[in-house]
Amino acid sequence: MDLTDKLEILADAAKYDASCASSGAPKRSSEGKDGIGATSGMGICHSYTPDGRCVSLLKILLTNFCIYDCQYCVNRRTSNVPRARFSVDEVVKLTVDFYLRNYIDGLFLSSGIIRSADYTMEQLVHIARQLREVHNFRGYIHLKTIPDADPALIAAAGKYADRLSVNIELPTQASVEKLAPEKSVHTIKLAMGSIRRRLDEKAEEPRSPKFAPAGQSTQMIVGADASDDQTILSTAETLYTSYKLKRVYYSAFSPIPQSPGSVPLAPPPMLREHRLYQADFLLRSYGFVASELLPASGGNLALDIDPKLAWALANREHFPLDLNLADASMIARVPGIGLRNAKRIVELRRLRRIRYADLVRLRCSMKKIAPFIVTADYSPVRGAASSEVLRRSLAEAPQQMNLWPELRAA
Amino acid sequence: MAGTAGSINAAVAASAGQPLLVAGFAEWREAARELLAFDIAPHAVKWIGQRDEADLFAGAPADPHEAAHAIDLRQARPVMHLPRKLMDMLQSAACCRVPDRWAFLYRVVWRWQHGDQVVLSPADEDGARLHAMVKAVHREEHDMHAYIRFRERPEAAGAPRFVAWFEPAHDVLPQVAQHFVSRMGRISWMIATPDASVLWDGETLHNTGPLVSSAADLDDAGEALWLTYYRSIFNPARLNAGLMRSHIPSRFWKHLPEGSVVPQMVSQAAAGARRTGQAEAVGQRRGTTIPIAADKAQPQRQAPSTLDECRRCELWQHATQAVGGAGPAHARIMLVGEQPGDQEDLAGEPFVGPAGQLLDQVLRDAGLDRRTIYLTNAVKHFKWEPRGKRRLHKTPAQREIEACSYWLDQELAQVKPDVIVALGSTALKSVLGTGNVTLKDTIGKPIRHDGRWVITVYHPSFVLRVPDEASKQQAMAVMVDGLRQAQQLLQMKSEN
Repeated sequence: MDLTDKLEILADAAKYDASCASSGAPKRSSEGKDGIGATSGMGICHSYTPDGRCVSLLKILLTNFCIYDCQYCVNRRTSNVPRARFSVDEVVKLTVDFYLRNYIDGLFLSSGIIRSADYTMEQLVHIARQLREVHNFRGYIHLKTIPDADPALIAAAGKYADRLSVNIELPTQASVEKLAPEKSVHTIKLAMGSIRRRLDEKAEEPRSPKFAPAGQSTQMIVGADASDDQTILSTAETLYTSYKLKRVYYSAFSPIPQSPGSVPLAPPPMLREHRLYQADFLLRSYGFVASELLPASGGNLALDIDPKLAWALANREHFPLDLNLADASMIARVPGIGLRNAKRIVELRRLRRIRYADLVRLRCSMKKIAPFIVTADYSPVRGAASSEVLRRSLAEAPQQMNLWPELRAA
Repeated sequence: MAGTAGSINAAVAASAGQPLLVAGFAEWREAARELLAFDIAPHAVKWIGQRDEADLFAGAPADPHEAAHAIDLRQARPVMHLPRKLMDMLQSAACCRVPDRWAFLYRVVWRWQHGDQVVLSPADEDGARLHAMVKAVHREEHDMHAYIRFRERPEAAGAPRFVAWFEPAHDVLPQVAQHFVSRMGRISWMIATPDASVLWDGETLHNTGPLVSSAADLDDAGEALWLTYYRSIFNPARLNAGLMRSHIPSRFWKHLPEGSVVPQMVSQAAAGARRTGQAEAVGQRRGTTIPIAADKAQPQRQAPSTLDECRRCELWQHATQAVGGAGPAHARIMLVGEQPGDQEDLAGEPFVGPAGQLLDQVLRDAGLDRRTIYLTNAVKHFKWEPRGKRRLHKTPAQREIEACSYWLDQELAQVKPDVIVALGSTALKSVLGTGNVTLKDTIGKPIRHDGRWVITVYHPSFVLRVPDEASKQQAMAVMVDGLRQAQQLLQMKSEN
């Protein structure tokens, strides 16, 4: 099998993984040095495919042979897919060649489990070591960690990789037991915990050898089991706080060829994935906690309005908010004002009072923001609109049911 | 005639009504500094950039006699120092190809010079435009970093090994070239644009005028592999061509190799292959299932201890692992804490975090060897709630203590200690099996319970939280006393 054939199969097998970020690495440069590659701290998306997702890394599997039988995965051992395996040198050469042509910022390498978790992990580490030590490659490397692998191998991976990830895949232990019989939430958590301990040690001892400077991340598949958004978000929150993850990626389940009966035949609405990312952003950057966005009793995020607007409509007692008096974290909670505009409003406030026209020039969404704010020259009529009325006026327009999706997409 | 910027003549020329010709940011800055020194208002200055050829002859002085009112050079005033942030913004905005860029930038610094700091806010009209220009330039830099495609030339052809063609919308080539210098190491490359080219020979950058007039026409085998990758990494089940186009503006597509395969990919995905994510070309190949029995596929794992399988309460869900006791199997003193903390939860061992370190100190002060003591917790899973990015310890509820006493009872039955030291109230409630005891009544006073001595001291975490040093020493003294008492009780027992 030639390289093109392998690339076709092993890129196809890797595309269900949502993460493709190349940000967070320390600054590196090859100016005046042997070898290639640079990182600026900010990732660069080098292209976009027709699914709207970016290409920033060469995202491939080392092999799609796999002895595990995870029901949601196209590469499970009982799946009848064409199989292929790259050699170590092939992965290294592809990475370097693509990098020189400015197609990618680095490598995202994952693998099916062959022989054993340790053997598979050794192979992944071997490729990263070749790139770093033989080719002096200074671009981004993200390694998928095999949870059952020896912690010593995880430590070795962190020496070469910018980011490590361990996929939790499903939000509850019960779902993992059912759909991924060879995996165990317990060992996944232990692997994440061992990565966090090494990151902590590194932070306390800055001169110690480098370890995954861009931190760790994980992925959860949405819609392969019956878990609701509350379960997903509260699992994400547990993972963020327990293991200091940089990101949790949500991947709407894509139906796979010859799908087993244990997983659904249809994908969940793509909008659900989008709402989860929005809610996740509120957890990471706005100081929200999961229980503010969804009650502990369960439920899903609204599809017609974004989670911040939903929170504001359910908590009208905080609004309207006087932008000339409120503190920055509350301003950022107003629907239609982002973190950057909240900061700008506070900065401008030191010079003069905030007026309605300022918000227009800051390009805030005025329709969204107006019922929730008070400025020097504007205040909404108190109690004029109930949350229900507001919600109807602010919701995204309902769409005609899609009877013939193929025709519509064409 | 246009005045030459960058000399004292700028102010003279401007006051004479002559336009100032500016080639770049450095010249503009010189001229602007001088104009500010003589307090010449923005509307009185006519700027021309090198690109703005149409304007070259438009700036003749309206009234040549006005030149007679040439400025008094003795009236120069000190110019305010511009903050770094403003200077960076000006420098970026200067790369934005708009006809009035120099005049606009001068208006901004003029307003700043006159104390009008609002000019920096995007809520200001000029400020909004400044921010928009900066954003457009940064965006163009980013797009050029992202969408330049190098093609490889045969080794025999010599330097440059890689060449690229790009049509930037703003003057960003110099800073973008620097990005590729750090990216490509000693490998030579060239980037050509309609106005200028840069060549990196592996050691230095060479700037030249336009060298070629279109995309480099080279055959590069690497490009075929890239197209294979591009087609395969796309998930047809998620087709969203609108989102793709919003990310890459159409003007870039014609120079991207993958641009030519996009229409076909979109129509194929839309025409029926959408039910699954697998690419058609892959689906047509012959498949293989892996012939391995399910029980052979199980990873080798240590058999999980029964404690890890505990579901007697809900705490296991958000904890990493259960933390059991540690110490000699027949230790005579058992120390019972409340529950594992953040560090213990990760390590799977009791008392390894900050509280554990304080406990070590107390044990040393009391003359006890940690290795002779059995250490455990009343509750085996970490109970916490999120506080920012941290896990904040949360006191276990009575029902959780009761559920977990199942495990403590087993430990007591196996170790059979003579003295139990309860650290804090949760431990005390668990050891005595009742919620109706208070720390205040029992602290430092040994109790007989179930044929053993139980002595209660503070929990080390409590000591860590005591704000002032004097009370902290006092609390530690209570702990040390308690542990000494424990030893004495042990001796009494052995004497009997």
